[in-house]
Amino acid sequence: MRRWIVIGIPYFWLLVLFLIPFLIVFKISLSDTASAMPPYTPVLDFANLRAFFAGLDFENYGFIFSDPLYTNAYWASLKIAFISTLLTLIIAYPVAYGMARAPKQWQPLLVMFVILPFWTSFLIRVYAWIGILKKEGLLNLFLSNFGIDPLTIHNTVYAVYIGIVYSYLPFMILPLYASLEKLNPALLEAAQDLGSPPWKTFWQVTFPLSIPGVMAGCFLVFIPAMGEFVIPDLLGGSDTLMIGKTLWSEFFSNRDWPLASAVAVILLFMLVIPIVLFQRNQQNQREAAR
Amino acid sequence: MSVATTNDTMPAPAASPSAKKARRTPAPQSSFAPWKDPNATPIVRFENVTKRFGSFVAVNNISLDIYEREFFALLGPSGCGKTTLLRMLAGFEKPTEGRIIVNGKDVTDLMPYERDAVNMMFQSYALFPHMSVERNIGFGLRQEGMPAADIDARVDEAMGMLELKQFAKRKPHQLSGGQQQRVALARAIAKKPRIMLLDEPLGALDKRLRQTAQFELMHIQESTGTTFIIVTHDQEEAMTVSSRIAVMDHGELVQVSTPGEIYETPQSQYVASFIGDVNILECRVSNVLPDGQLELNWVDGTGKFVAQPPPSGATKDQQVWLALRPEKVRIGLDRPATDVNAIPGKVENIGYLGSISHYHVAVGNDESVTALRANASLAVDNTINWENDVWLDWPADAGVVLIR
Repeated sequence: MRRWIVIGIPYFWLLVLFLIPFLIVFKISLSDTASAMPPYTPVLDFANLRAFFAGLDFENYGFIFSDPLYTNAYWASLKIAFISTLLTLIIAYPVAYGMARAPKQWQPLLVMFVILPFWTSFLIRVYAWIGILKKEGLLNLFLSNFGIDPLTIHNTVYAVYIGIVYSYLPFMILPLYASLEKLNPALLEAAQDLGSPPWKTFWQVTFPLSIPGVMAGCFLVFIPAMGEFVIPDLLGGSDTLMIGKTLWSEFFSNRDWPLASAVAVILLFMLVIPIVLFQRNQQNQREAAR
Repeated sequence: MSVATTNDTMPAPAASPSAKKARRTPAPQSSFAPWKDPNATPIVRFENVTKRFGSFVAVNNISLDIYEREFFALLGPSGCGKTTLLRMLAGFEKPTEGRIIVNGKDVTDLMPYERDAVNMMFQSYALFPHMSVERNIGFGLRQEGMPAADIDARVDEAMGMLELKQFAKRKPHQLSGGQQQRVALARAIAKKPRIMLLDEPLGALDKRLRQTAQFELMHIQESTGTTFIIVTHDQEEAMTVSSRIAVMDHGELVQVSTPGEIYETPQSQYVASFIGDVNILECRVSNVLPDGQLELNWVDGTGKFVAQPPPSGATKDQQVWLALRPEKVRIGLDRPATDVNAIPGKVENIGYLGSISHYHVAVGNDESVTALRANASLAVDNTINWENDVWLDWPADAGVVLIR
């Protein structure tokens, strides 16, 4: 009996906080928009279930796939998420490597530096980037000292890359650091002793052994970056099309809740694939550690 | 070397069985002592090597020659600098001062991956966890850019030598400790180095497995003709496997000799007590006899001893220590004929080990001497018991006079 309670609590949690909201969103995505409160029909009516189900259809999905606006937004999000994940990995790897090789007594301090930005609100940190990147911003002020013409970064896709890489860097560094820190230094010495110079040793020993950390970090960046809304909205301007922004404008500007819900459901299914892969990676890692 | 030249100059008609026999004697094993040959060139030479970590001196001005085909042991307690010496030879540490010469070439400034003649087997084995046994063993060969077919042949040979063929596809974590140890050895030996370095190679194995592995190491060393340099803190292991032992203490070489010499003629109390059991009696030289032998007065009791002088000699009134191995001390109830090299005592303790017995005898002013006796017959001589008054005596050549 007690076992059932222990197992039941997380399932109840998932049911109430994940499955039911999802079913509600899914139901709305099958409805039609209406100028009412709530802004969609049909509303669940237990007296007339037959009419309720008759009012549901996949029309919104059909519309999304026929309108290039949405498919472009999905593709753009995929592309931006993919490239930013790659950039984050390239920047985070040397940082994590340096941390793992630093003297043992410094390492907790270095980890704290990585987490330090979380003490400030995410929104404020993104606003701060506007101050840096805008036309009369700090960066251009600095560059003008060297006679360089002001760069247009704010309100372009580059600002979105900068914002995503900056915001998600800790999520990449920490799992990388965790896997690099476990690496036995004797393995590197053994590789060198057997005739492998440092650079080859990195690719033959260090990197393969850090792959679980690389995978974990990439998923932790890719998944939230895919649905990112705040960063493209504040830094990307009107040029940047990302699905999170489209979703937001469907909900709040167009008040087309059914269509927005359909956009959200498709996004969810796109993310289910990497999430499942991520979980399998975590599981493999746990088994390897045994 | 005299032995080699005799063999070379001997006419050797291959068909004659007597000539064959003559060729075999003396056994190459007993004649192997290149360190006694002034013309032999060492394969490894440490020249005044010092290594400091900050203010800590790990290795202090060591000069040491190691010869081809030797099984050389660096022996000492942890922190004595033996591992640092080995790591400097592998290239993981740079000497603060001095030079290291391998095979006639100065390798002091070479990186580990540039030292082809040297390969190391690590204490933790350091097997690559993401590679199978055969990939691990082939790792070193792949770095050389060797053709794949040759790599496979060499890996196969190494796996055959260490009976690893049935594990070829396994990952290291699927192997037992003894198997991992053999993979680590195979990985280094596959490179066919001139010199194999072994850092406490058997430290993680249990006692029985370790004895098997020791003989396996000796077998591989002999069959490949590789020079082995082993670091160990286990004196028995060093005695078993090596041609010569370097005993180290506080970053310095205390004595470099064959196992027999280390045991029979230690040059200091440290070496004498580090290897095997020993009784040490503090003495003062009372007289230097005309034939060179020393007459000693025991400090902690009444007794007059005669012993061979140390190689460096000794002078009258010098403080010395007489080292006596327990198996060389005779124990008996009757007073020996002479008072020289004989002291009375009372049996404190008897350790019966079946084949032999240890007698701990209280002598002089609160001193204790251990005598060893083989239990050769069932009844005879079994009369020594606790609290018996006994006499201990030993021949003049049994003790070693130590000056430090």
